[in-house]
Amino acid sequence: MPVKNRLADMADDITAWRRHLHAHPELMFDVHETAAFVEDKLKAFGVDEITTGIGRTGVVGVIKGKTNTSGRVIGLRADMDALPITEATALDYASTVPGKMHACGHDGHTAMLLGAAQYLAETRNFDGTVVLIFQPAEEGGGGGREMVNDGMMDRWNVQEVYGLHNAPGIPVGQFAIRPGAILASADEFQIYVTGQGGHAAAPHEAVDTTLVASHIVVALQSVVARNVNPVRRVVVTVGTFETDSNASNVIAHKVTMRGTVRTLDSECRELAQARIRRLAEDTASAFGATAVVDWQDGYPVTVNHETETIYAAEAARAVAGSVDDAVDPIMPAEDFSYMLEARPGAYIFLGNGDTAQCHHPAYNFSDEAIPAGCSWFAELVERRMPAAS
Amino acid sequence: MPVKNRFAELQDEITAWRRDLHEHPEILFETHRTSALVAEKLEAFGCDEVVTGIGRTGVVGVIKGKTNGSGKVIGLRADMDALPIHEQTGLAYASKTDNAMHACGHDGHTAMLLGAAKYLSETRNFDGTVVVIFQPAEEGGGGGKEMCDDGMMDRWGIQEVYGMHNWPGRPVGSFAIRSGAFFAATDQFDITFEGKGGHAAKPQETVDTTVMTAQAVLALQTIASRNADPTDQIVVSVTSFETSSKAFNVIPQRAQIKGTVRTMSKDMRALAEERIKAVCAGVAATFGGTADVTYHKGYPVMVNHEEQTEFAASVAKSVSGGCDDAPLVMGGEDFAYMLEERPGAYILVGNGDTAMVHHPEYNFTDEAIPAGCSWWAEIVEQRMPAA
Repeated sequence: MPVKNRLADMADDITAWRRHLHAHPELMFDVHETAAFVEDKLKAFGVDEITTGIGRTGVVGVIKGKTNTSGRVIGLRADMDALPITEATALDYASTVPGKMHACGHDGHTAMLLGAAQYLAETRNFDGTVVLIFQPAEEGGGGGREMVNDGMMDRWNVQEVYGLHNAPGIPVGQFAIRPGAILASADEFQIYVTGQGGHAAAPHEAVDTTLVASHIVVALQSVVARNVNPVRRVVVTVGTFETDSNASNVIAHKVTMRGTVRTLDSECRELAQARIRRLAEDTASAFGATAVVDWQDGYPVTVNHETETIYAAEAARAVAGSVDDAVDPIMPAEDFSYMLEARPGAYIFLGNGDTAQCHHPAYNFSDEAIPAGCSWFAELVERRMPAAS
Repeated sequence: MPVKNRFAELQDEITAWRRDLHEHPEILFETHRTSALVAEKLEAFGCDEVVTGIGRTGVVGVIKGKTNGSGKVIGLRADMDALPIHEQTGLAYASKTDNAMHACGHDGHTAMLLGAAKYLSETRNFDGTVVVIFQPAEEGGGGGKEMCDDGMMDRWGIQEVYGMHNWPGRPVGSFAIRSGAFFAATDQFDITFEGKGGHAAKPQETVDTTVMTAQAVLALQTIASRNADPTDQIVVSVTSFETSSKAFNVIPQRAQIKGTVRTMSKDMRALAEERIKAVCAGVAATFGGTADVTYHKGYPVMVNHEEQTEFAASVAKSVSGGCDDAPLVMGGEDFAYMLEERPGAYILVGNGDTAMVHHPEYNFTDEAIPAGCSWWAEIVEQRMPAA
């Protein structure tokens, strides 16, 4: 069973929506025009309920099936926000807003979920309820977390959630997924090391902060090399190192380091944080300096639930004929992780073909992937909640 | 024999010169007003020869003794330049120039050598020739080296040179000296490490410059702990470390470190340069990166000559009753170049319980003037006694 014929027929409309969204990118929670566009479309499709302002600027729509004997409620999620990047594609529908660009394909995700909504509202060929979730601020703002914190899951009694993301490098319209961790957690840290500054020719009267902080950088390598179970995946990167003086004859008093930790499970995430704190504080202490570690929790690990991953893969196989169901996890992070913490569900990659990578100014979503993406959403609904025969 | 009576009489006048200089500080080679004032005074004292423009803005004066049976020529050197520091003393004669200050007492050194020149021109109670040397740019500019490079030593036939520096923390007017290496060689290094930048979540595609550089900072510690002769002195300080990116999620392409090396011998100095280059190249290669080391040689080790040091100490004893053994100083001194060209000695004179030199609240102590001037005059009169 390939893509649904109806969705192939609708591809031109959906492409037009996608290109409209692409020309009018909005950032973070300020997705007012996009949310209004989504709301108008859902109204026109005749969905049963539309609620705006969930998670500040998120939109939720409800479509009831022909019957509801199953009592099942399935959430389908798309993200609406763009990135603070200046577009360099030269497309005739390129961003009209300087410094803002749909460089991660959220325009495509939103258009595909709208397409699926139109189809589902027309056909209603399922036994249960679909909740459409359009979230703001996926790019670092935690819009998905805000929608969950607004009580969305309980309010609409969502039982399972599914999301997709376009993937440059995978052939257009092909799918890839894995059970368990598929995207990393991304935390940030700053380490402030304070020694005792002084004259470079009188080291004995100083506590050399540069030396202490260098010991910390080296010691932090032991987190991955020695503390983490070698079959697990963790990245600890110190990206920035800055002394408070850049004179040649002054021993620095303070050093600021910044970095990031990526992990694929909460155990490693906690381990990494605990080890970084201990190594920084105790290494500093050993030299008579102090280290303060300032930790900013980013998105948690995106963990696909096993059973729902099988459903998602089956729907993908039905649409595309095959599916890579053991793709390697990748170390970027995803806000959908909060929804998967709240409910079982799965997140799948949809091939975007041989395009520039996401977040690149020359990136563009591939409209040829639209029928496959829309069909996957629709197929999931019709397979998980089959119409009574 | 205490301070000379004549200097007690001249003290008010010399103090007035010192305070005038203090009010009008000039940096590095830009000592135009100071040089002009020095030359004018030397002419007024009746020096036999006054030459300006040696080492760009240095001044040389010649005073002939009553006789010259000895044929001896002794150089006496003072420095004239100030520092780019904003004065915070609140003195009535504080600097009138923003961010320029006599925070190292060169105003006092110049005034004391002028005082000695005045006395020596008046009395000429010696058998030989005195060359008074006023140098610019002691504070990092190498003004002393420029005067030597201008041929000063040969031009005036200088056979020995003497210099003096005030020293906070020592009782006012007391002296301290040491033979051999005294002030350190002060070199600087500037090293750029280059790895391969990339995304912080994809370390496998990068060469992490931050880690490489941190390893190099650690490895550089072994120069002092493992390579240097433990009985010799060396300081290797990495003072600045900066990655080319300030982001959380980017592995930087480059990192730059800066620092200084202080040594007390030519051997240690050569060892430090060689080992810094080898350690950085080796550590960088280990990680698949590169290190570009620039080593800037600053002032060499300042070495007091033994015979002249003994003589200078005995003169100090005659002026103030004693002379202490000075410790090694890890700071640098431009007078090192003059001591490389001619035998001589450099002495410390107490400035009392004042702020340290280079501090915005530092001030030269005028009460030290008679002792300092007397030491200059005694060096001349004892080294070249009148027939």
